[in-house]
Amino acid sequence: MQNYNFLDRSFDACLKCHACTATCPVSNVSLEFGGPKHLGPELKRLTDNQQVIDDKRIELCTLCGNCDISCPENVHVSTLTAYAKAIHADIEGTKLRDHVLSNAELVGVAASAFAPITNAAMTMKPVRQVMQIVLGIPAERKFPQYRFNNFKRKYRKTTSETKRKVAYFVGCYATYNAPEVADSFVEVMKHNGIEVAVPKQKCCGVPMFANGKMEQGLKNAKYNIESLLEYTRQGYDIVLTCTSCTFAFKKEYINYLQSADAHELAKHVYDADEYLRMLKEAGEFNSNLAPMNDKAGYYAPCHMKGQGIGNPAMDILGLIPGYEIQDVAAGCCGQCGTFGFKEEKYEISMKIGKSMSEAIADADADYTVTECGMCRNQLEQLTTKNVKHPMQVLAQSYVKNLEESVHASPK
Amino acid sequence: MYDEIIVGQGLTGLLTAIWSREEGKQVALVSTGLGKIFQSAGVLDILPGEDSRFADLMEKYKLNTCSRLTIYEAAKKYFQLTERIGYPYQGNIEAPITIITGSGNLKETAFYPDTIKPIPEQGHVVIVGFEEVVDFLPKYVKGNLQKSRPSLHVDTMTVSLGKGSSRTMSQLDAAHLLDQEKVCQHVLDQIKIKMAAKKIAKPELFIFPAALGFNKWRKVLEQATIQLQAAITEAPGMPPNATAIRLHDKLKKEAIKLGVRFYENTTIIGAKIEDNKVQAVITSANLEIKSESYIIAAGGMLGGGIEKTATGYKDKVLGLDLDHHGCYMSCPENVWLVGASNGMNVTQYGITGGVYSILSCYQTFTARKQHMKLGGLQHAKL
Repeated sequence: MQNYNFLDRSFDACLKCHACTATCPVSNVSLEFGGPKHLGPELKRLTDNQQVIDDKRIELCTLCGNCDISCPENVHVSTLTAYAKAIHADIEGTKLRDHVLSNAELVGVAASAFAPITNAAMTMKPVRQVMQIVLGIPAERKFPQYRFNNFKRKYRKTTSETKRKVAYFVGCYATYNAPEVADSFVEVMKHNGIEVAVPKQKCCGVPMFANGKMEQGLKNAKYNIESLLEYTRQGYDIVLTCTSCTFAFKKEYINYLQSADAHELAKHVYDADEYLRMLKEAGEFNSNLAPMNDKAGYYAPCHMKGQGIGNPAMDILGLIPGYEIQDVAAGCCGQCGTFGFKEEKYEISMKIGKSMSEAIADADADYTVTECGMCRNQLEQLTTKNVKHPMQVLAQSYVKNLEESVHASPK
Repeated sequence: MYDEIIVGQGLTGLLTAIWSREEGKQVALVSTGLGKIFQSAGVLDILPGEDSRFADLMEKYKLNTCSRLTIYEAAKKYFQLTERIGYPYQGNIEAPITIITGSGNLKETAFYPDTIKPIPEQGHVVIVGFEEVVDFLPKYVKGNLQKSRPSLHVDTMTVSLGKGSSRTMSQLDAAHLLDQEKVCQHVLDQIKIKMAAKKIAKPELFIFPAALGFNKWRKVLEQATIQLQAAITEAPGMPPNATAIRLHDKLKKEAIKLGVRFYENTTIIGAKIEDNKVQAVITSANLEIKSESYIIAAGGMLGGGIEKTATGYKDKVLGLDLDHHGCYMSCPENVWLVGASNGMNVTQYGITGGVYSILSCYQTFTARKQHMKLGGLQHAKL
């Protein structure tokens, strides 16, 4: 059972100004959702140290965190809604489907073990129709591919011998669905003279929090904090390629656990591009990048914006000679992790995604760059452009430069 | 790393960011929350909170005579920008118009978007409310309107948006609904039926809550104007007003597209100051951000940039000493103040913004362009 009377008094500062509801991606397309103001600070004010109120409407909260970004009074709106979700899941119970979706890691292990079969099955209409009926996962929804040769299988270094030491939190997506992102990251770090270690890790917990499985999510959080602090205390920096995992480490662990360990870890956590930007400022960045005459559109994931780090992906990719990149200034993509995989939320997911796909079309770039695997899923479903992770672009430029210099130098 | 760090995401912060970026500067914008546009009416008064003339503004804010010319240039630049981003503003500082608010009170305003029209002295107007939007009550609006416009013939009606809601519907929610062609037509059809039933013929103006479409406001306005054969105005009232949120949305998207780097969901918790120059600011996200200059657009007392404590005013941004007007005792060389950051002399009635926001942004912009510190109250000895 959850501790329903969790301690967060930030709701006291809420002036009911409506900024959070006015910028909530779900509220903007649906009147079914109670909205962050109502289900966050107002509900907490009503129930703090009182009897718990279970409000079903909280199911529509995606924990994207735009409410936190909007709040001029620093109310931890998404922390309050995360607990409202936990209370709802505890009282109402969790559907089988939501159990499955929130266990992205277990699904990853299982699906990648039988990858060719799972991938083929997920594109078969009859299979998807059964899934829609039995699990409530819409047949039209695209699924990310799973890879048999996942990153966990092929990369087993747990220590780093270089001067700067990076401990890489890979995350479920780059482990099981897009090992090419993890490979590119290792490559980019190699070009910067840094060996990458991969510590023991579990799913960051974001899909669990989003499905109200707070207890399970916090269990993972504590596991990760313990495992990673062993590294940071030996001088490692923690670097991530998934902006949602990064967001969890920097914000959610601190807000939910409020522990000294969570605070200590957060000080050493970097988004991959942010880390490279830091290297650049310290004069340690390898800028031997081959020119690329691409025109890319950058799509900023909500969990990147919520970190308060500017736009490191554009800062770094902008260093590639000839490379043109512009932020398409789109809002939320509507996939919102597990949210977009749910039958009853599919319509909302598509409505939110509409303005995103219009922004991508307007920018008319060669391809889209984004860090988030789930945003990529929606981008692939709703736009005609290919999607790349910034690390893939950067690795390509480094490798190309190396090839060219080898080619140019006499034997 | 940056040429400019702007603190605050309200009107002054966004305008400064866009204008600086257009000059090719590397710009970062750091903000806790989205600024006060969200609580505003989306119109720019000469002195917010009272009907006034430009001379009042000059006297109140101790502006010099150059400002009279500057305001025209500032307004022109602002109008050009809003035109480009698809939400044009207009107006004349010498000839403010009288508009109606969501409570039915009248006020004068200088700059306003295309969805706002003046209230006539005489003639016939119809106030239309939505059943679902409880913040706007046509009969109440009528009562207040007739106090100041006794010779105006006023009819009221309430129509339905035809959609249920599980939360109290705001003006912004209504605006999103009216973006849908079906909903918009449904509303206009009801108005026509009610006009026929009430035998209302050819009114000069229809007054709606500030909810006439969000992204598709132009289409909604056009449809309503053609089908109702009259002028249409929004009456901004309780936030969120679509008039204001449209402005924020468009300005922010423009800033992002231009490449302004947004550090959001974060707060400045410290500053490194050496030799009377700010070297870097430190944010709650453990970041140290460096810049050539720093522009404080944190909205002063109203935006949270300044706080009043038992011992006096406290600077929440750089942590510097403030005098009893909320102004810096000594402003670091590379720090610039815009809008309500200039202290209590430019803030009144708990309202910020207005024409001064535009003027102040523009003055700072031109002064910085000339590398000279002109204008701006921060250097005036009071």
